[in-house]
Formats: sequence, structure tokens, C-alpha cells
Amino acid sequence: MNADVIIIGGGIQGCATAYELAKKGASVIVLEKDRVSQHASGVNAGGVRVLGRHVAEVELSKASMDLWQGLDDELEADTGFRCRSLINIAADEQDIETLLKRQEQMHSLGHYHEKMIDQQELRERLPYVSPGCVGGVVSESDGYAIPYKSTLAFRNAAARLGVRFIEGAEVKQIRRIGTTWLVETPSQQYEALKLVNCSGAWADKVSVMIGDNVPLTHSAPMLMITSRMPHFATPVVGAVSRPLSFKQFENGTVLIGGGAKGFADRDHNRTRLDYSKLAVGAKNAIEFFPIMRTASVNRMWSGLEAYMPDNLPVIGESVRSENAFHAFGFSAHGFQMGPIIGKVMADLVLTGKSGFDLSAFRIDRFERKVL
Amino acid sequence: MLSSYDLAIIGAGPAGMSAAITASQAGARVIVLDDKKRAGGQIYRNVTYSPLECPEKLGEDYLSGQALVEAFDHCQAEKMFEANVWHVGENGEILFSHDGKTKSLTAREVIIGCGAMERPFPVPGWHLKGVMSAGSAQVMLKNDGLVRDDAVFVGTSPLLYLIVAQYLRLGVKVRALVDTTPFSAYKDSVSLFPAALRGYKMLAKGLGLLNEIRRSGVEVYRFADSVEVVGEETVEGVRFKSRGESIQLSAEHLFLHQGVIPNLNMTRSMGLEHHWCKQQLCWKPTLDQWGQSSVPNVAVAGDSSGIVGADAAQAMGKVVALQRLVRLGLISEQHRDLQSADYLDFITRMNQFRAFIDCLYQPVVGHRIPDSPQTVVCRCEEQTVAQLKAGFEKGAAGPDELKGLTRCGMGPCQGRQCGHTVSELLASWQEKPVSEVGYYRLRSPMRLLNLTELSQFSQVSPVQQQEAQS
Repeated sequence: MNADVIIIGGGIQGCATAYELAKKGASVIVLEKDRVSQHASGVNAGGVRVLGRHVAEVELSKASMDLWQGLDDELEADTGFRCRSLINIAADEQDIETLLKRQEQMHSLGHYHEKMIDQQELRERLPYVSPGCVGGVVSESDGYAIPYKSTLAFRNAAARLGVRFIEGAEVKQIRRIGTTWLVETPSQQYEALKLVNCSGAWADKVSVMIGDNVPLTHSAPMLMITSRMPHFATPVVGAVSRPLSFKQFENGTVLIGGGAKGFADRDHNRTRLDYSKLAVGAKNAIEFFPIMRTASVNRMWSGLEAYMPDNLPVIGESVRSENAFHAFGFSAHGFQMGPIIGKVMADLVLTGKSGFDLSAFRIDRFERKVL
Repeated sequence: MLSSYDLAIIGAGPAGMSAAITASQAGARVIVLDDKKRAGGQIYRNVTYSPLECPEKLGEDYLSGQALVEAFDHCQAEKMFEANVWHVGENGEILFSHDGKTKSLTAREVIIGCGAMERPFPVPGWHLKGVMSAGSAQVMLKNDGLVRDDAVFVGTSPLLYLIVAQYLRLGVKVRALVDTTPFSAYKDSVSLFPAALRGYKMLAKGLGLLNEIRRSGVEVYRFADSVEVVGEETVEGVRFKSRGESIQLSAEHLFLHQGVIPNLNMTRSMGLEHHWCKQQLCWKPTLDQWGQSSVPNVAVAGDSSGIVGADAAQAMGKVVALQRLVRLGLISEQHRDLQSADYLDFITRMNQFRAFIDCLYQPVVGHRIPDSPQTVVCRCEEQTVAQLKAGFEKGAAGPDELKGLTRCGMGPCQGRQCGHTVSELLASWQEKPVSEVGYYRLRSPMRLLNLTELSQFSQVSPVQQQEAQS
């Protein structure tokens, strides 16, 4: 089977890239070893945030946030996106100092989307927050979406433009013969002139087949969700110095995250939870919101996610092979970036250029370091 | 309580109790965890502690559990009641709520004996107030001695007839029995009848119940189909077709029942291999005759392994425990074979009887795979057939994708109430066998877990905890 571009990986990055490429007229095949949106893209916390991004990611994240605001119309589907604002809570004066330093840095770079709030405003925005909390920082554009719906929305929009999604197609071998990429799966061989690696927690394996080494690891960030509670929090909530993240959905359920990691067994698509770490997450949630004391946990889970040593993704072209590109390693904060990554990758694949500074995301950034 | 055991048994029903007796007699360190106040499981619930003045009216079968419960109470196994197990790991780690706290233990071997649950009865209006399952009528009766006057009982299978007979013996007025066993089932099951005769005692009991109901003068409607519950928010009655005639009965209390299926939440959330059983129209963990699951240290016994009934469950508990004892090095294979031969024979005989019962009381397609768009499938998230169909048409091919799109199965019951319906619905829409459609991937915890209780759980030293926070 032939196409202009083969994308390996049917997560949100792969589906968004497929959509943007197809919009520009390219023929695209997406090879997914399991099912589209089965792993990190389908089971993450659904956070859509610019707040607190690493400075290298801010421009991309802001551009992506603009796209999220109109994404349902663009994709003619329901992604479940809700703009609710995101507040990171300062628990004490030390947190306020951290925030002030961050504010100075952001302002010096010309970013004004993060706004500090005092104790009173915090209380107004989150009436049920623990009285001990002293303030925080808010980003108005942020919110959440439903991960599975969002990724599927990109997939379906791409499929309407002719993109072929092949599920259950694990890539076993990649070869470059002349200017053609030959991609082998157990049942079939695929050919294209260009190749995009969006294979998440398996991206290091695909990178090696393309000819790039990358120090990628994988892990199993854990989440839990409560049964329905009376409405008590509209904004999405995080904390400045604690692993806390939670959001209350419209149906009253509360999703509690925070980045605690379970145990990942990627060869068998399985994860195991670390309940003592989930207990810490539960404790933090109750400490910041005493109303959560009586909440009931309905489900706890984790997905397989890819991490880079500096928690920044790899976005850009292969350093070893021509016409191969990477977008992976988002280190548990890539969901929000999906829409813009689709555009960036389409530009890279079709023109070799991007309007964004991608130097912090080079795949060889660790190799170049002299130890 | 110790922190580790040779064998942990989850569920103190017939299978769990008999496994505990066998294993503890052989010298294994055994703990039994059950979420109720006393041993007995659903079938022998409160048999040694009935709130009824004359529990013998519940029948000889119920009382026969007394001996087993007493033997269990006296055996050396440690018993932990009101223990809500919410996690069982492949590694033998068990987490459970007890006294408002999460406790943990590890066990070399695990036997799951979580019994059965009632098959969902997804017909229009089955979610209305006042509609209950016949099983819950039994729980009310056995736990609190409570009954509902003038109720209509709808469905099929021996348990339904048993509860009606129990009501009648206690002098409770029953409005009607609407029997949904189709005429064709009597014909289809004829060929299985000779083999079933080997379980003639059970057969005689079943016929006795039906005769008892008929003699009592209760209105009985046979061969009923197309059952619909009538009402807006609360049940007002029931509508059905019987022998080509459309009938409507008014009722304030309606009890539905069409058989039981294995209680899957534990075996599924442990990730054990399962398969679709065409005879019983349900998912079952894949096991050998020793109850050995796809995970070496985990076995399943009793109705959670597939519906076998109380007597076979008790025999199975013994057999399954013997194989765990072999794995623990406490008995030899020869010893196991000697001890288990009669019980394995008995189980085989009971299975032949079961094949007849399964065929005769097989729930009809229309009461299993709802086709009316407004019928609620997922009660927790209030998802109807129409909403699921829309999700399916958007591209959700399997139960997990459908869950992601529609929230069907995401509620507190973890899909217990809708899982089988969703598997069969997707199979019918895709014209595929149910076995290829699969079931939900279940998430921890197996029961709702209080957040404060979880926050107090710790297996690590305070120093390590601080690191986790930083």
C-alpha cells in the first residue's frame, strides 16, 4: 500500500498530523499497533492548559490553545472541550515567592497569560478551597476536554479527508530503499516518501528503526475519578508545589491526578497501580479541598506514557535520515499540544520548515552534550 | 491478622467455605475475606441467624447450609467479615476495607469465590422506581424478614419460582407470576432431559416448586414475551404478550429475574482470561477442572467460575483447594486425585443437570438484547440503546471505546449491570460472535472506596512518602 506519508502511531499527535496533512492534500496512512487512542491519548486526565508550561513550550502551547477554542467546529465533532480557567494554588508564602519569580520570567519574555491572584480572589473563584491557602495563579483560557473523544474527532475528520487508518498493525521493520521508506507489519508492507514517528511510549523503538537514538523512557501516570458530587469547583485546579491536579466535570465526578507514577509493562500493554502513591494524591486533594473527605473513588487507572529526561518532547526532523520526522515524548503534558503539533508536523513534512522555534526539542539534544 | 498467608479465599459462600475447611485441615495458613457480617454467601445468607420466626419456610435447601456454615465456623481458617476487598493483584497482594480502614495482606495462593449476580433484564422501564430483582426480594427476606405485598414476579429460572414459593409459604399475597420461559425451550431441552435425570433430586425439587405455585391459585401467565414495564417514574404495571394475547397488569411492586451469571468484577479486574459461554450466555473465567485461572497463583471456584449451583460449588471448593494444597507443597498429586475423584464425578453430574436447566431457562433474545431505542442499558450513567447506537456509529467498535464515547459502564457499578448487554448489543450490530467483541477492561477499585480511607493508606515509611510528595 502506498501513500505520500506514513504516520506511525494513532494517538492525538498522529491523528492531528494526519488531519493537517490531508487538509493540505497529502495522501496519508496511519499505522497503529493497537487501536486509535487506546493508550495515553485516550486515557489521560484531559487537561488543556497553558499555565505553568516550560518556557520552551509556551509559544506552541498558546497557539494550540487558540485552536482548542474552535476545535469542535473545525473537526465537526464534540471533543468535550470546556474553557473553565486553571488555577494553581499557593499553599504558603514560599509558593508565592515561586510564583513571583515565574511571573518576572514570563513578563520578561512577553507572556502575560498567567495572572497572580490573592487569597480573597482565590476564595471567590474556589469557595471550597482550604482556608489556609494564600493565593495562586490563573490562566483564563485553560480548561479540559474528553481525551478519547478529542483523539477520535481528529481521526474521524482525517478519515473523511481520505486518511487510511490501519489498526492492529505493529511496525516490525523500517527500511529506506533509495528515496522510499518501506514499513513492514506482520500482514503487509507499506511505502511512502515520508515518515512521521508519533508512537508515544514505543517511540524509541521506532526511532532506532529510523536511525535515531533517543533516551526515552516510559511510565504509567495514575489517575482516579470519584462518583458524582455536588458541584463545588468550576476551574481546573493544580498546586504550585504539590503533585495535585483535579477537575470537576459537568456530571459532578471529580478527576484527581498529579503525575504520580505506577508501574509500566509496555511489552504487554499493561500497567499496575501504586496505591501508596495514589493515597498521597488523595491526601493532597482532601487537604486543599476538605469537601473531598467524603468522596468515593469509583475508578483508578493509568496509561502508558513516554518521558524524556528533561520532560520536553521531541519535535522535529530525524538527524540521521532524510524525510523522517518525530513528535513524541511529551512527558504527560502533550494532549493540549495535539492540535498545534498537527500543524507543525504538516509544515515540516511538506515544506521542511516551521514558524516555531523547535531547537529545544531536537532528538539529538542529549547526544550533543559532552560529558 | 497476619501480614501473609498460604491461601487467601475471597467470599464465604459454599465454594469459599468448603475450600477453607479443606485447606485449613491440611495445615495451610488460610484467611477468608467476606463483605457480609456472617458466612453463607447469597444462598445461605443468615442461615444460622435468621430474622424469621420459621426459617424452615425458606426451604430444605436453605437449611441444609447450616451444617456447612457450622463446619466452617469451627475450622482453623481465619475469618474476616465485613471486609470489602477492593484490589487483588496478580502478585498476591490483597487490599480491603475493614473498620473504615484499608488493610493489606499477601497470600501465596488465592481462591476467588465471589459467587453470582442476577442477569440484567434490560426491557423498557426496568429502571423505574418500584422495579426490583427477585434476588433483592430474597436478600430483604433473609436479612430483615421484609416482604412486598401484592407484587408481580416476571421472568424465568428456578430462583424466581423459589422466591414466589417462599412468599406463598409465608402467607404473602402474590399478584401474579409472569413466566417468560418460551414454549420452544421445553422442546429444545427435551434431548438433554435423560442426562439431567442424573440430577433427579434437583429436578424433583424444581417441579415441586412449580406445582406448589400452581396449587396456591396465584395467577400464572406462561410463555410471556415482549415484557415492558409501564410507568413514568414509578412502576404502574407490566405489559407483555402471552399466547398471542397482549396483557397488562397493574402493580406497585415488580420483581424481575431471568437467571444468574458469574460475578465478574473481581476476575475481570484482575485481568484473568475469560471466554464467552454459549450455553450460559455469559462471560466466564477460563479455567481447568482444578479451577486454575490464567494466572498461576489464582484459582476460581463456585458460581464465579460459571453457574454451577450451591451443591456443585461446595464440591468445587474442595477440589480447587486440593490443587492449591499441591501447589503449596502440602499434599501430593496422588493424594489430591484420591480425595477429589468423587467430587469431580459429582460436579460432572451436576453439569449435565445444569445443561438442561440452562437450555430450558435460557433468557429470550428480546429480554437480553434490547431493541427499543429508549430502553436504558447503563443505569448508572443513564445510557439508552439509542445513545449507544450513536456511539457505535461514530466508530466505537468495542466495549471500551463505547465506554470512552458514551460513559456507558463508567458508573459506580463498574459495568456489572450493562457489561453483558453491551457485549451482546455490539455483537448484534457488528454481526460478529460475542467472543470477538469482548468486555470492558475493568478498573480498580472493585468497590467504591472512600477518599479519606485511601488517603490514610500507606505501605511505605514516612520518609519515602515525603519523597513521593516532593
